[in-house]
Amino acid sequence: MADDILLDLLHSEIVQYVVGNNDNMKDEDLSTLEYIGFSTGYRIIERLTKEMPRFKDELDTMKFICTDFWSAVYKKQIDNLRTNHQGVYVLQDNVFRFLSRLSNGKQYLEVAPRYVTFTCGVIRGSLANLNIQCLVTAEVQSLPSCKFHIQVQRT
Amino acid sequence: MAVCAAIVGKENSPKFFCCVNPDEELNFQYKVLSSLDIIEEKLNPTNKPGTEIKELYLGMLYSLETCKIYGYVTNTKIKFIIVVDSSNLQLRDNEIRSMFSKIHSEYADMVSNPFYTPGEPITSKLFASSIKNIITGTV
Amino acid sequence: MSRQRFDTKKVNSELVTLTYGTLVAQMVKDFDNPDDVSKQLDRIGYNMGIRLIEDFLSKTGTGRCLDLKDTADKIQSAFRLYLGVQPNVVNWSPAGDEFSFILDSNPLTELVELPEDLKQLKYCNIICGAIRGALEMVQLDVQSWVVQDQLKGDQNTEIRVKFIRRLEDAMPAGEE
Repeated sequence: MADDILLDLLHSEIVQYVVGNNDNMKDEDLSTLEYIGFSTGYRIIERLTKEMPRFKDELDTMKFICTDFWSAVYKKQIDNLRTNHQGVYVLQDNVFRFLSRLSNGKQYLEVAPRYVTFTCGVIRGSLANLNIQCLVTAEVQSLPSCKFHIQVQRT
Repeated sequence: MAVCAAIVGKENSPKFFCCVNPDEELNFQYKVLSSLDIIEEKLNPTNKPGTEIKELYLGMLYSLETCKIYGYVTNTKIKFIIVVDSSNLQLRDNEIRSMFSKIHSEYADMVSNPFYTPGEPITSKLFASSIKNIITGTV
Repeated sequence: MSRQRFDTKKVNSELVTLTYGTLVAQMVKDFDNPDDVSKQLDRIGYNMGIRLIEDFLSKTGTGRCLDLKDTADKIQSAFRLYLGVQPNVVNWSPAGDEFSFILDSNPLTELVELPEDLKQLKYCNIICGAIRGALEMVQLDVQSWVVQDQLKGDQNTEIRVKFIRRLEDAMPAGEE
């Protein structure tokens, strides 16, 4: 298979499928969208880490997500990774793939959660399969930039 | 060729078992399960920092009079175990390695099936026959 | 710039396959009847097709189709461009208004095993929908359906296309 546009179109269709004809953007239930991402991330990471040496630790895994993983899936690396070294990681992508087609403007900012939730799921699923249980949320302040907050659940 | 292959999940619960001779299944199951502790030890060498195994292949876990047991752990903490008959002296280390990496590929493909729920026992007949072919050396 | 660990094209194509698979599995949970899922998949394909055609036309610089044979050839190259497979165009009807694409391998279904209770699910309906949607944008009304499916144990995957009629150039809305 060849083309980037397929994933972009498929992603829009999945958003459409989950959101349906819902006009009420406030507190919209996007959990199905997140789950589809989770399940996809869980599977793709199994394939991607097949030929890789073992990860050293949590930070090593996060760095992999920000660099190799992100550039394979989202065509660029994460622009900034911050951590408090206590299980909170913030990944910033200044030109996030699924937001790059939205025009800037307040009305678009309102629908932004629809375009980042699948990816929150992908991150959570990938990390879950790498045995890091976490919560992932996204924050969009100005398009097309996005911050993903990862909070690792310690047991 | 090997005589048995097993897949054990993240929480050390068996997901899949394949024996060339089905009569030996119970016997091998026991041996496989008792090798899990050795795997844990190899992955977490508590008092010897710097000795962690970076490779997925762990080498021989232990050997008995009748068989030798090899291990491999994926980045996702799925354990693959291969049992080889001790009388089999032709099988070299790199052949075992190559068996493991083939099993890993099959496993990653099987997990990609959207109708398989990760963590469930593996029931696919197609998968079972691919694994059997790998350990008997028919691929 | 660090070197690329992964083949980005391959990863993206696997992502499409996996994401599509997860979507289908989710729909199977959401709908009681697999036939409803098949219909939805066709509709999703249609929505993708009507957008994909613009991309196809601009990437390939293709002009108007001369006849249905020409259309078939162009869809064949779209298969190559988007799915990386080259189906054969065969089984033309005597009237020349129907033909089939035969795929020896189908990247969408390669890693899929259908459970017994879903044998009636038309997993690849998205392709039929995409063909229908794309052709509608170039004023061709067609039907498309899956005849053979490797997921059901068939040797190949066969997708049939039937020409219905040529659509009049669409009028701008409200000007009839």
